Amino acid sequence: MSDFAGMEDLLQDFLQEAHDLLSDVDNKLVELEKTPEDTGLLNDIFRGFHTVKGGAGFLNASELVTLCHLTENLFDRLRNGELELTSELMDVIMDATRGVRDMFGELGQGVQPQPADAHIINALKAALSGEVVAAAPAPEPATVAAAHVGEPDWNQLQAAVNGEVVPAELVVKESAPAPASAPVGGVTPVPATPPSPFGRRTSDRPANKTAAQARRVEDRNRENTIRVDTSRLDQVLNLSGEIGLTKNRLTSLRADIIAGKNDSETLHALDQAVSQLDLLVSDLQNSVMKTRMQPIGRLFQKYPRIARDLARQLGKDVELVLAGEETEVDKTMIEDLADPLIHLIRNAVDHGVEMPEERAAVGKPTKSLVRLEARQEGDHIVLIIADDGKGMSAERIRAKAVEKGLISEEEANTLDERQSLSLILLPGFSTKTDISDVSGRGVGMDVVKTNIQKLNGSVEIRSEPGKGSVFLISLPLTLAILPVLLVLLGDQPFALPLSLVREILPIDQDKIQEVGGRHTLVVRGEVLPVISLAKLLGWPQNRKPEYGVFMQTAERSFILGVDSFAGRDDAVIKSLEDFRPKGVAGVTTLSNGQIVLILDMKELLSDMGQHGDSGLVVRHFDFA
Amino acid sequence: MAADPKTRFLVVDDFSTMRRIVRNLLKELGFTNVDEAEDGAIALQKLQGGGFEFVVTDWNMPNMDGLTLLQTIRATPALKHLPVLMITAEAKKENIIAAAQAGASGYIVKPFTAGTLSEKLGKIFEKYGQA
Repeated sequence: MSDFAGMEDLLQDFLQEAHDLLSDVDNKLVELEKTPEDTGLLNDIFRGFHTVKGGAGFLNASELVTLCHLTENLFDRLRNGELELTSELMDVIMDATRGVRDMFGELGQGVQPQPADAHIINALKAALSGEVVAAAPAPEPATVAAAHVGEPDWNQLQAAVNGEVVPAELVVKESAPAPASAPVGGVTPVPATPPSPFGRRTSDRPANKTAAQARRVEDRNRENTIRVDTSRLDQVLNLSGEIGLTKNRLTSLRADIIAGKNDSETLHALDQAVSQLDLLVSDLQNSVMKTRMQPIGRLFQKYPRIARDLARQLGKDVELVLAGEETEVDKTMIEDLADPLIHLIRNAVDHGVEMPEERAAVGKPTKSLVRLEARQEGDHIVLIIADDGKGMSAERIRAKAVEKGLISEEEANTLDERQSLSLILLPGFSTKTDISDVSGRGVGMDVVKTNIQKLNGSVEIRSEPGKGSVFLISLPLTLAILPVLLVLLGDQPFALPLSLVREILPIDQDKIQEVGGRHTLVVRGEVLPVISLAKLLGWPQNRKPEYGVFMQTAERSFILGVDSFAGRDDAVIKSLEDFRPKGVAGVTTLSNGQIVLILDMKELLSDMGQHGDSGLVVRHFDFA
Repeated sequence: MAADPKTRFLVVDDFSTMRRIVRNLLKELGFTNVDEAEDGAIALQKLQGGGFEFVVTDWNMPNMDGLTLLQTIRATPALKHLPVLMITAEAKKENIIAAAQAGASGYIVKPFTAGTLSEKLGKIFEKYGQA
């Protein structure tokens, strides 16, 4: 498929490693802006580019080599104090880093990178030659890509050096670019895009398609592999070994029992073996799950840079503070979280925090803080994106949603503050009338909600006008095992994702009120519609629901009327291969062997919506 | 010392892709007895454990760089006779001189092919054979 026949493995390894390296460089660059003199940082960044260059050389990616080489030289001179880090220089460096990332994208698609934007290269060269310190002549950037310096005769050199005399004429002569050693890997030179004045980045816009596409393709390529701590794999191996031993024990016990030996000793041994197996299997499940767990820091790494670039573009002073990077999250989830988190961070920087002047006017520090935090709470992962900006007004949001026709006036009146804030997650909602290039299209927040829901998670918004907003994302630890609540309709159990359940309450028929033609219950001041599960499923309503499950999806809260409960369970989801009834997410088997449907509440509710007014079904609901 | 295919190599580089490249190139040349280290400090630990006959090291690494590793090897009586081949992306005069001064047995510039590596190794083996 590619320019890298025979090198695919090497290329994958390189990309994965180089990607991590570049993310690290990105973060260090953001730090460097705060402490421009930190030689440790300068060294690390230098080494990052240097290492990428070295690897790229073996892949014959000469354009990548050139770009890294120039950037590396720049850092060499910065760390030697021959150049000073100005904000213009920082822009050049940021552009170069972006260029490197774009090239990774191209490599990810199996093609040799195109030359970097001419303006980046020119800017780098200008920076390198601009303030040359006399003592150290600048390396000739023009020849670097292919530059193979004619090497001196090693033995002679060594002898000379060891003889303590370094001959003055010992010159490593710079040969003309040697074609033999110049890596030329089938690159078709393409006219570089004309340099924009002052090298303002054309690739800056989030809308830059090629870069975005490249990244996407590359993400897909990376999905198939996972890096696992070997000690975790060893644990899996150990456990499977022990399970093997326990199985042997059971086999021998079975033979005994079949032969008629069922004295108490045998039965006790059987009991022990089964208990042990039980323990081992759950340990094994845990260990296997752990192999999929990755520190979320890998994902967080990218964001300080994104926040910084955006803030600069908007003329804001924003610091993104990370916390809980070591929190471990299922690998697939990390990939699916990337987009929603970018949206939320962009949203915080763009809409959440104010311009420095505005902040100063109300007595806030001009620098705004955006906090991105992850932590594990019980069997959930909680992600927090908090800003110290101007906050949101529930009142304004409600008004806007009504104005846009997203909800009716009546519906608006039943919403409390938390529910009102959640309206911003609806498709088509955006309170900024002037749509900014960054995050004001009213699509981003919708994506957040859908993606988080796909992961069985939920989003909650809190905000205090003047103080800031907090987005709380709650996610299950893993997608493979779903904690469910088992509810009963007659004798038939159904499983509901526990992540949506807030509480269980008895339904007191006398307390049911009709609001806007719907049956509702007031729970601690919150007005909630009551929906019967039987009705949702199209079952005959034989008895009045005695219990209500207070459920919350991202867009609405409601009470699901059911007959009774059968407890909670950790369901291993099996999908129904060939047919998928509406509203069924999958099936699971209970410990007694009974098969239970796992309900997809969102789909069931949307089905209800199709009957016209969402209150319709409830209105015909035959309670009393 | 002749080019014994059993020669035990230690490849030192902080970039695992690079270690793999070098390992593969060595394999191509028939050397399969290769161990790896992530930086100078780890390399030194491994070397002190004994059994290595050849060191191929990168220059630029965190913790302990290749030059310091080389200097330490030359200053350690038990290790100082080990051949050390320096790998670097630079072909700068100062670098080459620094390597020579520190007592490198040879010097190779990235990227290189199995052919170049073979040639460099050959020269070093030849030299050590004479000694």
